[in-house]
Formats: sequence, structure tokens, C-alpha cells
Amino acid sequence: MADPFEPARYAPMAASALGLPLAEEDAREVIAAFVVLARVANVVMSFPLPEEVIAAAVFSPDDGKAQ
Amino acid sequence: MIRGVRPIVDAVRAGDCSALDVLHETFDAIVARNGEINAFTAFTRERAEEAAAAVDSARAAGRDAGPLAGVPFAVKNLYDVAGLPTIAGSRIDRAPATRDAALVSKLTAAGAILVGALNMDEYAFGFSTENTHFGATRNPHDLTRIAGGSSGGSAAAVAASMAPLTLGSDTNGSVRVPATLCGVFGLKPTYGRLSRAGMRLFSASLDHAGAFCRSAEDLALAYDALQGPDPDDPACATRPVEPVLPMLARGLDGLRLAVADGYFTSQGEPEVFAAVERAAAALGATRRVELPAAGVARCAAMVITSVEGAELHLPDLIARAADFDPKTRPRFLAGALAPGAWYAHAQRFRRWYCQALKEVFREIDVILAPATPYPAFAIGQATVEIGGQTLPAAGHLGVFTQPISFAGLPALAAPVAQAGRLPLGIQIIAAPWREDLVLRVAAAGEALGVFLSPTPLPTQDNSHA
Repeated sequence: MADPFEPARYAPMAASALGLPLAEEDAREVIAAFVVLARVANVVMSFPLPEEVIAAAVFSPDDGKAQ
Repeated sequence: MIRGVRPIVDAVRAGDCSALDVLHETFDAIVARNGEINAFTAFTRERAEEAAAAVDSARAAGRDAGPLAGVPFAVKNLYDVAGLPTIAGSRIDRAPATRDAALVSKLTAAGAILVGALNMDEYAFGFSTENTHFGATRNPHDLTRIAGGSSGGSAAAVAASMAPLTLGSDTNGSVRVPATLCGVFGLKPTYGRLSRAGMRLFSASLDHAGAFCRSAEDLALAYDALQGPDPDDPACATRPVEPVLPMLARGLDGLRLAVADGYFTSQGEPEVFAAVERAAAALGATRRVELPAAGVARCAAMVITSVEGAELHLPDLIARAADFDPKTRPRFLAGALAPGAWYAHAQRFRRWYCQALKEVFREIDVILAPATPYPAFAIGQATVEIGGQTLPAAGHLGVFTQPISFAGLPALAAPVAQAGRLPLGIQIIAAPWREDLVLRVAAAGEALGVFLSPTPLPTQDNSHA
């Protein structure tokens, strides 16, 4: 089983992978925003999608066909 | 003063007044009201005078002055305007644009007169237009309250009659939310319908251009001038112009209307749902329809927006994060940290969701849904209580708009007459490329008296706080 997620440890490491400095005074708010995003993303990830569903290369809400 | 796109076009084209007269009245209104509302961030007076004079001389010479002859308009400050820096609500340096955005060019070619640029949330990442750099845009109906966002300046300018037509953009609700809170009509066409060339984008997968007016007919006039393919925007569809103005008079005949059920019946204040029911009753919408996985769609929209927005601004986030608005900075930085699988899954879900919605539109032509979960809240208010939950006041404003724009569906925010002390509205939603249907329903609702753009009191006495 995966370890419990620790956003306060993850955020600085992910930022360093991008060469993105995280100012100390921003860290608390950034981690809070990331926790919100992670919660929202969890809803998306929990929605199972079959392999056949592919993202559109140029997105058209009805694949370009007229109704 | 002549108010509204149609009355101005009719008067200027008939020679009852000049485009220059209309322009001067517009600037008088701006001088009288912008100080307290803070909708504009820049003016284009010299250019406007020249353009208005050109419209007048075209008419005098017997030439067609255009379908929007003499109509003053203004644009959210993420649209390129030649000679102005396209600031997109940011203080980070930007060289002046060398040419107009495609939609500014289209309106100008139709005879409309650009008068200025409008306030917004920094880089469109917000729903309240409480911009730290340029100040909050105030709601013309109550100056202590937000105008909504991110196109807050665009909605407030129209509500306060400082311009009969403005342009904004809508990624998650940024046209429909401020239109609702300011009591004006706002149209977000189908994803890919209008060119975004020359606009500073936020999240290209979801960004739409849109427009604000005080009536459905005015919106139809503007929308017809804005349509058309554009190879400079890779997402812009190759469909021909499909004029909606000739369709407006068709009314509700033959349309299957339904009220959005399930997800769209909670997470807001009771007056919001009451406004939907009032509109539905007036329009004869008795069916109910559930949108599949609407809540997941909202979450997926938030993931895509956060990741694309962060990536777009990553060089500045790395080099100068301190120059960002403190209201957007933590969310941009957080978006940069998202694992890639979140984004890819959200994009694949979007395709699934669009396919599922196609089934809904086999049975239904037009869906009515709430636009915002509550009317405008006080500037500076951080949270709201809904159903015993404490929620972010600005963030929650998109709860009903995000699942609609995520599928790229055309949607129009229409103000419901006498909804309450503050403006409220509903969304009118149709299948892709059926802007004609949402405008027909909006026009029919106006004729029935259930949709009306309220006129704010013209003085500072309109604060009810």
C-alpha cells in the first residue's frame, strides 16, 4: 500500500523538478491550493475510462459534425 | 442618450444622429460612472474619434456604414488592441500590441467603435475581478459588491451603460458569471466558434471568446459580426458564418426545453433555484434532464485549467512569482506541481463527457440551468455558507457554469426579471453549434417579460450595505 500522501513534502520536490523556486512565504498557500487541486483531481481519477476513449487532438465538442 | 446596439445602429444608419454624437455621449457616461465602478483600465479616445468620423463620412457619402455602424464597444484587457499593452490584468511588462485581435478587427470592420479596455482577474484566473494591481471592479447595482469575473469590467461596463457592447472570455464561466451578477445578457458560443487570435489565453483547451449586451437581439447582432473561421486560431472551426439574427423571431415553436436536474438543484441559495423555476414556468419547460457526471466535469475543468494556466506562465512563475497577484499566485504555483496523469485523464474524460451529452441532446433541444449559486457578494468576502458547508466565495461561483463550458456547449446567461434585490440569471444551453437556439429562447423570454436587464440607479446612492 502506498504511503499516505504528504503534500508539504511533495510540493517542494515537484517544484524543484521544474526549477521553480517556492518562496517560503508562499509555501503554506501553495500547499493549501495543491491540496484542493489534489482533492478535485481525485474525483477525476476515480472515474474509470476505457482505453478506447482518447482525447481529441483539436478539441471539437461534437467532433465537428453539424447537428 | 441612445442605449443599446440596435437603437444606435438604427439611428446612425438612418442619419437621426451621428456616430460622433453617440461616441461623445458614451464618453460622458464613462466619465460620470467609471470612477466609482472601475471597469476600464485604458481608453482609446483618439482612435474612437477617427473611427466615428469615418462611419459618419461613409454614411454621408452613401456607402454602407456596416451592421454595427457607430456602436461603441470595449474589450477585456486580454484582447490585443494596436498600440496598447495587452496586460491581461497583470503588472508584468508587456510591449504594446502591433495589431488588433481578430474579434476587435471584425467589430471594427462592421462599423463598431472601440472605446477602451476593461478590468479582469489576473490572467483570467478568478471569478470576482478583485484585481490587486488595478483594484476591484464594483457592481453597478451595489458598489460594495463584486461584479463577478473574470470578465468583470466587461459586464459592469454594459450594466452601467458605459458601453452597449463588450467582449470578454469564458474558460469556466468568466462571461456567464459576471453577466449574471451584473444583470446583463452574456453569450459564450460553442468552443471553436469564435476566433481567439490576438487574445492572451488562459487555458487553450477551454478558452472561449464571448460578448455582453443588454438584450438578446443586441447580442445576436454582435455575434453575427463576430463569427467566421480563422486559421490563426488552431481551435477555430472551419464552419461558415451561420447568422442567428433572422432566427430570433421564431420563438419557442417546436423547441423541447428541459430544466437541468440532479447536480444543478443544490449547492446554491434557494432564490437561485426559484429564479430557474420562474423562467422555466414562463417558457413552458416542464421536462427535467440530468447531465451525466456533471460534478466530475467541473473537477476535470479545474485540473485542465490549473495545469494549462501554470504551464503558460511557468517562465514568469520561475523568474518573478512575486510580481503575480497574490490572489492568483498560489493557484498558479499549485497547478505547476500537478502529476501528468491528472491532466491526461481529465482530457480523456472530456471526450467521454461530450459523447455522453450527445445522447442528452437527442431528447432535448435547450437546457435551462442556474448560472451562479448566489448573487454578488461583498468585495473582500472570502467564504460563503451553503448547506452547512463553508466554501470559497469566488471559487464556488463556477459550480454551475464549469460543467457546461467543459463540453464547449453554447450557453447564454440571461437576467431573470425581479429575481431579488440583486441581479440573478440563468443559463440557456444548447447542443454544439446551436447558438441560434439559445438566442431564440433568450429573445422569447424577453418578450414574455421573464428576462430583463435591470438598469442600476445612476448615483452613488445604490449601495444597500
